[in-house]
Amino acid sequence: MTMNKSLANSSWRRTLSSIPVYLAFIVFTILVLLPVYWMTRSAFAVSTDLIKLPLVYFPQPTLRNFATLLEQVPFGLYLRNSLLFAISTTLVTLLVSYLAAYAFARIRFPGSGVLLWILLLSMALPDIGTIVPLYQILKTLHLSDSIAGISLILTSTLTPFTVWVLVSFIKQVPYEIEEAAILDGASLPQILWHILLPVTVPGLVTMGLINFVNAWNNLLYPLSFTTSPSAKTLSVAITEIYAGYSPWGKPWELIMAVGVTMTIPIVILVLLSQRSIVRGLTGGAIK
Amino acid sequence: MDKAMNISKGTPAATSSRISLSRTTRRRYLLFILLVAPAFLLRLITAAYPILQTIYLSFTNLSILKGTNDFIGLENYLAMGNNIGVRSATGFTIVFILATTILDLVIGMMIALLLNSRFRGRTFARTINLIPWAIPTIVAGYAFRWLLDDQFGLLPFWVTQLTGLRPAIFINPLVSQIAVILVHAWKDAPFMAIILLAGMQGIPEDLYDAARVDGANGWQRFWSLTVPLIMPLTITMGLFRLVWSLGSFDLVYGLTFGGPGVATSVLALQIFREGILFFKFGFASAISVILLILVAVIGTVGLWLFRRSEVTY
Repeated sequence: MTMNKSLANSSWRRTLSSIPVYLAFIVFTILVLLPVYWMTRSAFAVSTDLIKLPLVYFPQPTLRNFATLLEQVPFGLYLRNSLLFAISTTLVTLLVSYLAAYAFARIRFPGSGVLLWILLLSMALPDIGTIVPLYQILKTLHLSDSIAGISLILTSTLTPFTVWVLVSFIKQVPYEIEEAAILDGASLPQILWHILLPVTVPGLVTMGLINFVNAWNNLLYPLSFTTSPSAKTLSVAITEIYAGYSPWGKPWELIMAVGVTMTIPIVILVLLSQRSIVRGLTGGAIK
Repeated sequence: MDKAMNISKGTPAATSSRISLSRTTRRRYLLFILLVAPAFLLRLITAAYPILQTIYLSFTNLSILKGTNDFIGLENYLAMGNNIGVRSATGFTIVFILATTILDLVIGMMIALLLNSRFRGRTFARTINLIPWAIPTIVAGYAFRWLLDDQFGLLPFWVTQLTGLRPAIFINPLVSQIAVILVHAWKDAPFMAIILLAGMQGIPEDLYDAARVDGANGWQRFWSLTVPLIMPLTITMGLFRLVWSLGSFDLVYGLTFGGPGVATSVLALQIFREGILFFKFGFASAISVILLILVAVIGTVGLWLFRRSEVTY
């Protein structure tokens, strides 16, 4: 009897003590999702529904804003440019970083620790701090106003962190596999491509995802270095639509429609590969 | 016969082994250099050289629109003192990086604690925690601008319903500054939480068991175990955050574009305005040098702090 009572008591206390956690969970969820709800609600609404008081929480859904975007701006072209920019930056960054990471993880070289440290230190450099010379460099290389140009610059920006994470991934692979291959007379390209690549895939996928998100979201480089529709990305498009006034003020339904277009692919990627991304963000420390 | 051949074959190999060793060493070095060359070339062209070029340009009046390009010594730096935009931006940049870093750490720690405790819906919470990180900053900037719109924004509408007041956020300098800082925390605290959560998960569970046996309650375990053990990580991340916030550009660009007036402008936005919008390369470079000096100072102080705080467990 007393036993039962104390059991009931403790389960009560457990329920009571978990109340703050659930309160925090609810507050957290609302805070995270509120702007997402607001953006989605506005992107799929007719503009007149957005300027009614009291506010309409769930306006009649419509795809009209996306149709308007396709008509009024080269929306398909911007979308293509964003994809091209993000994918090419991701792939080149992975290639450059994988080669360097292999060297740092496996080849003994005097001062390699210092070199890696210098590479990491260069991450502290803010993108905006050297924007003028970068503009001049792209001009000199005849790469201004091109996807190739902004890809080159962003690849360089993303490389140090990618190298660092990949080094830790490669170091986790037992050296015996490569040693056996080397004894069998495998060449370096064979080792990199056939032996090490398959076991480093998780690391490459992780950094591929993170770099894709970074490139897709990047605003500064396309905004600074592109001027024609053939090179502008969605991130530039949204700033231009914001700058364009409509008779009732800002065209919020269109701005939010671009916002949703930019957010959906990223959120899907994140939801599908949450663990992998977290592993990369924490420097490959978590398995 | 067989044996003899083996020996006679083996001896020259043994004598040449020293030469071939140095040859393989040389080959190894060459391989290393070849493999790291693309990464270092990229950084050389787009990071190392541009820093030097920025410093050089800061002593010139290079302007594409005016067509000037002369060496003018320290004139740009003197002009900055009289430039209201730069002066205001310097002040707000310092307030902004300190406030966002502290908020990031505090809110990030709170989120990490939530994500580290056991409750139904934890996986869901951990997943949506990545959304603020993943949303493009410029999109977050505009979404909040619209959420906080004084006429048709959700939050001002609620405030009006509750209090009858009509808040106009982006007209008031101080309120705009607070908005920039809070929205920045919304965007970045979840990332901080991911890192701090990883740190918490790295603390051995038996330390907590030992504390429990000693009769420490949850609060005591947090203050005397979790906090000191993840302090080095917290300081490192705080330092990274400070440095990265210095270059933060997208959010201010989207949320306020530095307004009202220049109240929420940061150095990064001033560089963009002067350099990319007005093509005043010399003047923009001088502001960049100030930014780079701030990065160097904070980085050095931060590293020194970090080395003092290292603990082992």
